[in-house]
Amino acid sequence: MIPLLWYLTVSFIMIGLGAYGMMTKRNLIRILIGAEIMGNGVNIAIVAVSIYSPVFTIAGQGLIMLIISVAAAHTALAMALMLMYHGRYGTVDLWHPIKLEDDVDG
Amino acid sequence: MMQFVVWFEQVEFIAISCVVIFLAYLALEHKDIVYAAFFFGLMAAFVSGFYLLLEAPFIAGMQIAVYTGGISALIIFAVLLLPRAQDSSLETFASPRRRRGAIVLTALVILLAFALGTVYPWSQSFSPQTPPLQNNLELLAQWLWSNHGIYVQMIALILLTAIVGSIAILKMEKAEHVTLIRGEFGIESVEEPIDNIASEPDDDDSSSQEQEADSS
Repeated sequence: MIPLLWYLTVSFIMIGLGAYGMMTKRNLIRILIGAEIMGNGVNIAIVAVSIYSPVFTIAGQGLIMLIISVAAAHTALAMALMLMYHGRYGTVDLWHPIKLEDDVDG
Repeated sequence: MMQFVVWFEQVEFIAISCVVIFLAYLALEHKDIVYAAFFFGLMAAFVSGFYLLLEAPFIAGMQIAVYTGGISALIIFAVLLLPRAQDSSLETFASPRRRRGAIVLTALVILLAFALGTVYPWSQSFSPQTPPLQNNLELLAQWLWSNHGIYVQMIALILLTAIVGSIAILKMEKAEHVTLIRGEFGIESVEEPIDNIASEPDDDDSSSQEQEADSS
């Protein structure tokens, strides 16, 4: 039998990797990949805790189904925002210097 | 025999976790972002192995369908749609100081999560062994559709909002190119309808017409 701590350790390492990617990368797509890796780590932790818990065995799995659906929705929204950013500034660099006067109409 | 099964499960877990962590690292650090997107999809497929080990096969299938099939394909489409996304100059760090700070913050995140997950007293209440799951899928369907059907409807609404929001964001971007007519009380109208902007003639066509006129 695999101890619960093993699953939690893997999920924490994935959360840390995703956080590292989100903090150091400047490519927006790479940042999105980091966020998805973090989300995967959280999903593993929730499923493991719910399976090992005597009460929430089924509820955790149902919750994960809902979470995965919302993850698909927010990824699609992030893609739309990324396309808008690329259309406006011509790059996907998050550290691209943005002049605020460019955004003022007229 | 039982001991062998436990040992085999643990070896499986260690192999899957090593592959997942290595692929996650590659998805973040590989220089080519197209390969990084593929590595992310592969990592999501291997994560479903954890769900299979946890006796949650439906979640494993959903993980493969949504993450490997949907989200990684979406990321690859975005990479191919945005020509500047493959710019290798984006892969450089501004300063090693920022990288060191990120490593320290990441260590703090892992430590905090580890402390919350293991030191906090609620971890003592878990059983050391997983309970035998009989009729897993049946119970899951009953939980989701009989008792908590309202959540499914809420998720449907969230998905609809995300789709409409994405379309609205991209339409807003198109509407920004319209010339506004400003009157005394602010914006009064636009010159042309938003969806009916006449495309400007290409320079190549005009230059070729001029050449034809010169030759004649």
